[in-house]
Amino acid sequence: MSGGKLITGFAVTATSHTLGEYRARGGYQALERALLGMKPEEVTGEITASGLQGRGGAAFPVGRKWSVIRPDDGETHYLCANADEGEPGTFKDRWVLENAPHLLLEAMLIASYALGVRHSFVYIRGEFDLAYRRLAGAVEEAYGAGLFGKDIFGSGFSCDVFVVRGAGSYVCGEASALITSIEGKKGYPRNRPPRLTVRGLYQKPTVINNVETLANIPWIIAHGAQAYRTFGTTKSPGTRLVSVSGHVTRPGVYEVEHGYPVGRFIHEDCGGVLGGRALKAVIPGGISTKVLTASEIEPHRLGHFGDCEDRRVLPQSAGIPHLEPLVFEGESLQAAGSSLGSGGMIVIAEGTCMVRVLQVMLRFYHHESCGQCTPCREGMGWLHRIVDRIVSGRGRPEDVDRLYEISRANDGTTICGLGDAAGYATVGILDKFRCEFEYFIAHGRSRYDGCLECLGSS
Amino acid sequence: MPRIFINGHPVEAEKGQTVLQAALAHGFFIPYFCWHPALSVSGNCRICAVEVEGEDLDIACNMPVREGMRVLTDSEAVQAWRKRMMQFITLNHPVDCGICDKAGECTLQDYHYEYNGEPSVSREPKVHATKFFRLSARVLIDNERCILCSRCVRFTHEVSRSRALGIQNRADSSLVRASEDGRFEDDPYSDNVIDLCPVGALFSPSLLYRHRVWYLQATPSVCPGCARGCTVRIWHRRPDWALHALDGRQNEAIARVTPRENPAVNGPWICNKGRDLARIFERPRATQAMLKGEPVALGTAVDAARRLLEGARRPVALVSNWGSNEELEAFQRALGGRVRAFVKEDFSPAPGEPVEDDLLIRADKNPNTAAARALFGDAPPAFEDGTDLLLVWGEGLDFSRLPTRVPIICLNAYLQPENGHADVFLPVSVQTERAGHYTNFQGVVSAFEPCFAKRDSVAHAESLFAALASPPGPSP
Repeated sequence: MSGGKLITGFAVTATSHTLGEYRARGGYQALERALLGMKPEEVTGEITASGLQGRGGAAFPVGRKWSVIRPDDGETHYLCANADEGEPGTFKDRWVLENAPHLLLEAMLIASYALGVRHSFVYIRGEFDLAYRRLAGAVEEAYGAGLFGKDIFGSGFSCDVFVVRGAGSYVCGEASALITSIEGKKGYPRNRPPRLTVRGLYQKPTVINNVETLANIPWIIAHGAQAYRTFGTTKSPGTRLVSVSGHVTRPGVYEVEHGYPVGRFIHEDCGGVLGGRALKAVIPGGISTKVLTASEIEPHRLGHFGDCEDRRVLPQSAGIPHLEPLVFEGESLQAAGSSLGSGGMIVIAEGTCMVRVLQVMLRFYHHESCGQCTPCREGMGWLHRIVDRIVSGRGRPEDVDRLYEISRANDGTTICGLGDAAGYATVGILDKFRCEFEYFIAHGRSRYDGCLECLGSS
Repeated sequence: MPRIFINGHPVEAEKGQTVLQAALAHGFFIPYFCWHPALSVSGNCRICAVEVEGEDLDIACNMPVREGMRVLTDSEAVQAWRKRMMQFITLNHPVDCGICDKAGECTLQDYHYEYNGEPSVSREPKVHATKFFRLSARVLIDNERCILCSRCVRFTHEVSRSRALGIQNRADSSLVRASEDGRFEDDPYSDNVIDLCPVGALFSPSLLYRHRVWYLQATPSVCPGCARGCTVRIWHRRPDWALHALDGRQNEAIARVTPRENPAVNGPWICNKGRDLARIFERPRATQAMLKGEPVALGTAVDAARRLLEGARRPVALVSNWGSNEELEAFQRALGGRVRAFVKEDFSPAPGEPVEDDLLIRADKNPNTAAARALFGDAPPAFEDGTDLLLVWGEGLDFSRLPTRVPIICLNAYLQPENGHADVFLPVSVQTERAGHYTNFQGVVSAFEPCFAKRDSVAHAESLFAALASPPGPSP
């Protein structure tokens, strides 16, 4: 199995999300320990020492984000839990919200204590139904048990939590758009500077952490940073929730220790590719991360160029060939030209048309671009229309280069990361499957019959 | 004062400035669409990118100046960036400059030639959106031309505070729309969004397809609509492009009124009343001098008035607070010693008109009350017994409130029923036919210049007063 379990290490039952069972598992002891035995700076220090990284996609060190806030500077600070999990392929936060909502609430209380926060917010994705009901129920239970409100555990520390529901916009998962949405405005991302830890929600210093990131905190406080570092690798300690979907036998949410091989995870833990097919590609961390081919994931088995004939056209710069198997670790994936992203893994079986895959992805980005800044507003639609045209059989030879140009014109020119992400996704697929596009354009039809589904599988 | 380098030149920037502000203040131009000096930074058009040596490119409008930073506003990378942004901005823009009223003063048009100059590389059909969509009775929007810079939206949120405009939908389906409760209709500053629009998306239905801006000329003027005295530009047909066929009146018509930026008075804005100066100045004009309603030559009427003045022992004058500083002083010089003068309010707020707010609009709907009161005091008109002549200058006076059987000399520019009841009626020029100054309620003096030539049959009030005071003889 894929290593130690820090978040999912309990049996999920019909009542395992309730306060009683959470407490029976040792819940809220870390909070008590922090409130009664530690100073706010010590909590932050422990998190910094643990090397915990953000799980929302950017892998920013949590301790560094927290250290910007001075809990006792007399300013109002805010904490927001980002539960607007919208990255396609990602549904790990949903698991936490549905099965361990108190884990999030305890983490928020600990973080609020460390950051001097009186009012904290959970911004939860609007489409989440069970997750919202479970979270709202947990908030009520926690208030009933005196875990929120004034003078928690007699420590003098007071904190309230507000659950805010989104309205279905992907971009509201971006931190600054999220707080703009909480403020009641249209969810437009903000320009930096200023950073949100300087001027965030209601123009006050604000820390925004992903649900999974926060879910690690009670364990770290309960067991200490040193114990946490025994999990995972030196550079990426701890575990990661990976949500697997696509052409895979056992999709779902898995807790994987950093350093675990990706190929072994797919083939053993997830039961392999659906219908016993060969693996074609994997999108490792939500569609905004660059796609990886089977030979990049398991070069030790398949060799550099493996079975993917499309590697013929792979530019020299696209990735450094390596013979080590790819493992769940930021550095390993970065070396392969991708990233762990938000842990939303999409498995793609042999026989899938990558032009159609890109079309689906671009339809999403086009639909979800907020329309605030020029390159993304115009570029997403442009990319989408070009790929739509290719799929309809009216592709032009210059289209592939045009897709590259538009993607590059979105790289680093936009207010938030959506434009960049769409560009990465497009460039990632074009780099590795360019010949499929050229085939589609030249013949007016897909090399793989335009399949997205894994047909003929049991 | 952080010292920065722009294209290698040292520049003393001010603390808290952005690179864009510092560059513009020192004569380095950086293109921008969404940025506006009087609005918040939105940073959405992405055209103002600059290169800071050793760093990635970023937008200048949101980049604080830092000591010693070396900014390049025209490096190869910056030029490439701008070109790409122009390709994006024109991607779904119809580029219908040939039928767009903004052509000739359009930022997008200028930047296209300056920073791109190439046809679109796109072969995809353009996104279609609503055209001539009514935001209010005064403002229409062509959503295809709109580049979503959000200046208009920010204006209604930050300046006029009606919060009447917003952006609906996402991505390239985004549309600027007015709130459904009609707040934009009631926004007395709504027309400013037309000037703010860097492209031809927002326009006034009353001006649509009427004028090409290169046939127009802007004359600096002052809005007489209230005591604020906003400085404006009155746009009218250029004399060298005067129409000789069609309707010649178009040569003397006000095409439009735009604000003339003036930090001391109105900043970059004016209210909608100021846009409608044509409604004031293009009312039917009085062009005929009259004696008791009978048409006479102007000279004859002036002689008659002069005789009446000479024979009067207790004349009272009601002085117009629409008179310019020069006219008021001429009156004071010529007649001040002989007549008892009171300041007359030519206009009071019309029904439904916004009376006063904290942005520009003042309750006193006359331009020069301050100067008039400085000369003639602020006592209300009083007609003591023995008043034997009334000189009424300007409009807005109900003659039935005047003492009966007292001769009246009336000076007015507009065709009004009272004119015929005066013993002597003298037609005078309007503001657009002469130069002068107004003193606003804060004491700020602003100048206006003539847009059109005065007709021969009317007189400038300034010269009339001198003629009225001189002994009987040849008329002016």
